[in-house]
Amino acid sequence: MLAEGIRAHRWWIVAAAVGFAVLLTAPAYLTPFQVRVGQLFLFSAGLGVAWTILGGFAGYWSFGHTAFIGLGAFVAGAFELHVPLGSPVATMVAGTALGSLACAAVSAVIAYPILRLRGIYFAIAMLGVSQVFAELTNNVDAFKGTMGINMPNAVPASMEPQTFFYYVFVAATALTLGVAFWVKVSRLGYGLVSIREDEDTARMLGVPTERYKIWAFVLSATLTGLLGIVYAHALGYITTGSVYRTDFSLNMIVYALLGGIGTIVGPVLGSALMVWLTQVVLGRLLDVHMFITGALLVAIVLLAPHGLVGFARKLLRRGAGGGA
Amino acid sequence: MSAGAPILRVAGVSKRFRGLLAVNDVSFAVPEGSICSLIGPNGAGKSSLFNLVTGYLPLTAGAVWFRDRRIDGQGTTAISRMGIARAFQIAKPFPELSVRDNVRIGALFGREGPRDVASVVRDALQLTGLSDHAGQQANSLTVGFLRRLELARAVATRPALLLADEPCAGLNPTETEEIMGILRQIRANGVTVLLVEHDMRAVMGISETIFVLDAGAKIAEGPPDAIARDPRVVAAYLGAPAEG
Repeated sequence: MLAEGIRAHRWWIVAAAVGFAVLLTAPAYLTPFQVRVGQLFLFSAGLGVAWTILGGFAGYWSFGHTAFIGLGAFVAGAFELHVPLGSPVATMVAGTALGSLACAAVSAVIAYPILRLRGIYFAIAMLGVSQVFAELTNNVDAFKGTMGINMPNAVPASMEPQTFFYYVFVAATALTLGVAFWVKVSRLGYGLVSIREDEDTARMLGVPTERYKIWAFVLSATLTGLLGIVYAHALGYITTGSVYRTDFSLNMIVYALLGGIGTIVGPVLGSALMVWLTQVVLGRLLDVHMFITGALLVAIVLLAPHGLVGFARKLLRRGAGGGA
Repeated sequence: MSAGAPILRVAGVSKRFRGLLAVNDVSFAVPEGSICSLIGPNGAGKSSLFNLVTGYLPLTAGAVWFRDRRIDGQGTTAISRMGIARAFQIAKPFPELSVRDNVRIGALFGREGPRDVASVVRDALQLTGLSDHAGQQANSLTVGFLRRLELARAVATRPALLLADEPCAGLNPTETEEIMGILRQIRANGVTVLLVEHDMRAVMGISETIFVLDAGAKIAEGPPDAIARDPRVVAAYLGAPAEG
């Protein structure tokens, strides 16, 4: 199925390869500020795509995915603080692996009960989960949630920190996109889409809905955690408030909505648009920044309810119809 | 046509919804390779019985056997994987997906065992006359094509038994005859069909055995001509015989 999926999406794969080639060379000609904006774009795009595996493919919208950013970041941070290995890079790699595994394990444990909820009940339950995780982080001594954790510095002496983390974000986002693509073209992806469209009918057709939802939840949580860990390292110092952020959870949904729910390219386009708007266009208009961002979001959702991808498809269809 | 061994046996099945006994001690057997029909007035319990057979609802009493395997208490997914498919009374396509992807999902899942997904999809589309509409989004189909899509998706699961719940509802006589032709072809391909349908002409023309339900209980069973003459059926469902 993967080979068939690659064949069917070959032009998207070529576009993604060109995009990543541009991203890999970008630090050579970008200013440090632009590299940091690039980091934020990669982080946002990765989060939007990770959220999409559950919210976009399976239709289970989570309002609390920041739970896994925080969980991954604090597990990695606490490990790296208490168990330093031979080199800072080895410590960071081990911490990242452990934090991601923690997200996989915890999400697997909570998946079954929480995925029995549907629609808004699931969304709100996830919001609750993120609040519970944040409170636990504040109150469990090992995590030092209120005091904060200094993430060990793993940046090689020969590199600027923003460039180093830019490349780590490129790798994490590429991995996220790769996993999402594999899910989309696999049997799992078709099963998830059938769950989104009509879960009862999917079950009637033999789709193992419970198992597939758990897979989607665990994959989505693990990738979100991975990106959160990279973000924590890039920040250098984390507190509960800096990683358990409700705006992270909401932004993931906004990226997917703006770009096109259920697609992989949608959250990438949505995050590019939002980061460009908020960091570049409106970055100097701090007084009216949020107002204009909100107004633009409303306008885009009204004009393109199926996101940028849906809008582009509509234009293409119209073009094809006009030419006929 | 000679009757095979039962592929489906419903034995003393009852279903109670609080105070209402929707299905009352119903028993019947569907021979393998046949087309049988389940008829009865609205509210007789036909769709409830389909829900019980497919595991969508738990039984209150009784047992359901698929070949030599007892299947009541199994989930809908497990029952589908054994080889029982259902086409719904109210068409339930995956609306945002193309016709091809709707059928493809049936082919990817459904009955266990090896399959060539591409050829299963192609055959199901061809059988139901949907090949020219394969790229069309399901929510843009007319009622007639939605009925065909229901059948195509169910057939793509490669079932041994198809439960077709009113596949002709809302169709004109020509479309109804086309659906009956598709069901005959499905049976010719080796699939047993249990049909729920209100169009008596269609039911009488296609069925080998008819089971009649009234108020949740089975009141008659037999070949179409015997059912048409059965006074209990005439009274409960077909109406009083015309005078003269």
